[in-house]
Amino acid sequence: MKHVRIFLLMVALTFAVGAFAQAGAPAKSASPAPQAQTAPEQASIASVVDSQISQYEKNVVGVAEAMPDDKYNFTPSSLKIPGAAYDNVRTFAELVKHTATANYRFWTTLTGDKMPANIKGPNGPDELKTKAEIVKFLKDSFEVGHRAAKTITAQNTLEELPFFRGTQPRLYIATATVIHAADEYGQMVEYLRMNGIVPPASRGRM
Amino acid sequence: MVNDDKEERFLMKYVKLFCLLLIAALSTGMQAQTGGSQPAQPQAASPAQPQAAKPAPSIASSVDREVTILEREFVSVAEAMPEDKFNFTPEGMNIQGSDYKKVRTFAEQVKHVATANYGLWAAVTGEKPPYDVSDDEKGPDSVKTRAEIIKFLKDSFAAGHRAAQSLTPENSSETVTTFFGPTPKIFAATFAVAHAFDHYGQMVEYLRMNGIVPPPSRPQPKK
Repeated sequence: MKHVRIFLLMVALTFAVGAFAQAGAPAKSASPAPQAQTAPEQASIASVVDSQISQYEKNVVGVAEAMPDDKYNFTPSSLKIPGAAYDNVRTFAELVKHTATANYRFWTTLTGDKMPANIKGPNGPDELKTKAEIVKFLKDSFEVGHRAAKTITAQNTLEELPFFRGTQPRLYIATATVIHAADEYGQMVEYLRMNGIVPPASRGRM
Repeated sequence: MVNDDKEERFLMKYVKLFCLLLIAALSTGMQAQTGGSQPAQPQAASPAQPQAAKPAPSIASSVDREVTILEREFVSVAEAMPEDKFNFTPEGMNIQGSDYKKVRTFAEQVKHVATANYGLWAAVTGEKPPYDVSDDEKGPDSVKTRAEIIKFLKDSFAAGHRAAQSLTPENSSETVTTFFGPTPKIFAATFAVAHAFDHYGQMVEYLRMNGIVPPPSRPQPKK
């Protein structure tokens, strides 16, 4: 939880700086100023989303880089834990590729970018095999995320965009993608520990 | 392809939930909050026609949808672990070459998430949690049994719904003091969901180590 505390502190500082930067405007506007009232708030929501993307970018990229190349196709089923239920689960590489693929799929909805043509299924491009290729794919997907966060404006925060077979607000799609990555991250953490590797975010703790 | 099937279930799972939530929102007449510059529906122009239009999305409904999805998935995983395995830790399995020293037990994972939920969501609403959540790592000592822990968890989600529903365009950026530090309301509300899903991913593995397929990953009955 230490890293969460530090991160939240950074977020608070970011917002404090933002608020300070906006302090040039009168605290109590004497005349109607709808732009001045809404713009800082919407900018803050975009910043919040971008902060969360940064947090899980750090986490997911951290574990993706921590797994050695020769363990990238590790799956817990190989451990043959008596009584375990690990049939047909994703390998570590597939978890990373799946996360990156979802990042692309959802965040490109916000940016309007085309999905990379080589993404055919939920686990991303088949031709990406090596750790270096997969980590690059992951990092590129978070880059789309940062651009997606920056698209959020006062006018479009609640704009409905295609999501699965329906529509959802821009804000929801942006943050649900982070949540999905967090879920997969939790699984990757366990895959690392099964291989004797303490996840970077947990190192140096009791 | 197993993973294609999983993806399809992932798709359907959320589609179904969204439809359910949409129906619920329509039936309860959830009030819409526009995004400030987004014009409100000009309902005053036709006061004699109280048609049930699809409510405009709001910050509150958007965040509450995330809390609802998390609650359903997380509680199902917590409840899937039997009582006699609730204090399971992978450390006890002695997996060759692993490093599970001093990791949380399954029960501690659930308590930690419920505690963090309260720490973030109660800060948004300004309410005082009915539990002692001062130790954000371990949670309240008074909560021990599986039943107590699951009730604690469910209660924390009730706080999550209240927090989400309290959000407005006007207050989303207000800074509140969580026990992690000061943070904007919208961040506290949504980060709690991401944090919980992080632990959910770990708990899923704890279940599988015990031969239990997580409920959201089980084959869904075909209609």
